Amino acid sequence: MSESKFETVSSLVDNYQQNDAAFDELVNDSELSDTWDRYHLIGDVMRNDIPETFQLDLAGSIANAIEQEPTVLAPANTSDSPRNYIEELKAKVIQFAKPFGQVAIAASAAGLMVLGVQQNVANNDVITPSQTVQTIPFGGVADPVSYNVNQPNRNSKQQAYVEQQRRFQALLSDHQQQIRLKSVATKSESTADINQDEDLPK
Amino acid sequence: MMLFIRFILLISISFSAKGVENIQAHESLERLSKSLQQLNFSTSFVVVKNNQAEPYHWFHGVSDNNVELEILSLLNGPRRDILRKGEVVSYIEPELPPYSVISHQISGPIPAVFSQDINSLSSSYDFISVGRSRVLGRPAQLIRIESKDQHRFGHWLWLDQTTGLLLKLAIITKKGQLLEQVQFTHLDITDEPSESIKQLQSAELPHVIELSKSHQNKQLSWQVNWLPESFKRLKANRHRINSNKQPVEFMLYSDGLVEFSVYVSASIDKQRAVEYVMDGATVVLNQAVNGYEVSVVGKIPALTAKKIANSVVLHKKPLFSKNTQP
Repeated sequence: MSESKFETVSSLVDNYQQNDAAFDELVNDSELSDTWDRYHLIGDVMRNDIPETFQLDLAGSIANAIEQEPTVLAPANTSDSPRNYIEELKAKVIQFAKPFGQVAIAASAAGLMVLGVQQNVANNDVITPSQTVQTIPFGGVADPVSYNVNQPNRNSKQQAYVEQQRRFQALLSDHQQQIRLKSVATKSESTADINQDEDLPK
Repeated sequence: MMLFIRFILLISISFSAKGVENIQAHESLERLSKSLQQLNFSTSFVVVKNNQAEPYHWFHGVSDNNVELEILSLLNGPRRDILRKGEVVSYIEPELPPYSVISHQISGPIPAVFSQDINSLSSSYDFISVGRSRVLGRPAQLIRIESKDQHRFGHWLWLDQTTGLLLKLAIITKKGQLLEQVQFTHLDITDEPSESIKQLQSAELPHVIELSKSHQNKQLSWQVNWLPESFKRLKANRHRINSNKQPVEFMLYSDGLVEFSVYVSASIDKQRAVEYVMDGATVVLNQAVNGYEVSVVGKIPALTAKKIANSVVLHKKPLFSKNTQP
C-alpha cells in the first residue's frame, strides 16, 4: 500500500478534497477503510471528543450478535433459505458499517449519553427539578390566580406550584430585561436611573 | 519498528491538522463578525426550545453614511421588535412603553458577541472547526465553541461558506444533549439595504433612557464567593422586578458569551429547598435560606447555578425590610 493513498485518506478526513473516485476506493478497500476509522478516532481523541466508553469494533459485534440470533423458521415461500438471508444481511451490515464506523461510534455515544443523562438526574436528587417552565406566550401575562377563601387546603398545593411558576417567569423576564440594560451601565455617565421605580417606564 | 514510525507520523499529522482546524475556526468566526456588521441581509429564523418554536425576522443593513441599521421582530403573538440605529437600540414590547438604550448591539436570541471581537472568548472557550454539512440548502462549516471547563455550555455554529453568515446555532451540554437551537429558514443578501431598513432610517426612535454608573455599581451587602473562571461582574443594583414588584438586590455577570444574574430578596418562606427549571438553555434556580431568597438565572448548567447560589454570603441584612413584600 503506497503512502500516497494514506495521504489521500488523511486529506479526505480533513475535508481538504472532495473526490468521489477516492471515496469509492476508500469504501471498497478494507485497509483504507480501517485507516479512515483510525484517523477519525485519533482526531476525536485530540479534540477530546470520545465518550467515556466506546466500542471499537462495533460492526464486528453486531455481526456476531446477528450470528447468534436464533434462526426464525418462517414458511419458506421463496427459494431463499432464512440462513442465506441472514448471511446477506450480515454482509450488508458490515459493508454499511465499515465506512461509517465513525457514525456507529457516534450512535453508541448517543446511547451512552441518554443513559448518562438519566443517571445524572437520578444522582442529583438533592436539587429537585420541577416541570418545564410554563413559558407564558410572549407578552402574555399569567391569568391571575383567584384565591379561593373557602377551600384553601384543596388548592394550596396547586397554588404553591402556580406561585413557583410565576416566580420563575418573573425572574426569567427580569434577567432578560437586565441584560438589555447592561450596555448602558458601562457607557453612560448620566444621572437618571431606570431601576429607581419612578423612572421605570410604566 | 515500521509500525511505530507510522504511528508517530500519524500523531504528527493529526497535531498539525488540529492547529489548522483551530486557525480555521478563528478565521471563520472573525469572518462571521465582519459579515454581521457589513452585509445587507434579510433573514428569518426559528428558535426551538422546550418543544416550542419562535419565529423571527431579522434585517440588517448599512446606510450610505456607514450607520448600521437592524430590525429583529418576533412574528408570533404580540409585537416585540428590537430596532437599532448605530448606537441606539430600541425595544418595543407589550409590557413596557417603548424605550431606547445606548448600545452597539441588540440583545436577542443570538449572542451579541458574534458580531463583536470573538477573541475575547478565547480565555474560556476553545474554537474547533469540525467539518462541513448542508444547512439551509447551502454548504456550511460547523464551528464549535467549547467551554474549557465543566461549568458552561458549548455553542455549535453552522456558518455559510460563501457569505460567512450564521445558518444554524445550537447550545449543547458537555454530554452532548441539545438544549436550544436557532435554525435559519431563509437568507437574502442584497447590495442595497432592504425596504424595511430604509424605513427605519427615517423613523424616529423612542427616547433614550440614561443610567448612571453609580446606580449600576451599588455596594451590596452580600457577595458571590464562587464563579466559573473569566466571569466578570457587569453591574450590581437594587430594583423591583417588573412583573411582581418585588424588591431585589441584583448582580449581573458575563463571560462575554453568556450572562447570568444573581438575585437576593426577602422571602415569605423561611427555608425552601432548591428548585429549578430549564427554559431551553436558560436555567432559573431558586432557593430560600434563613428567610432570604437566592436566585440564579442564566444560560449555564443547573449544577453551576447551584454552586453559585450556594456561594452567596450575606454580610449583614439587606436594606429592604420584609414588610415590603407585596
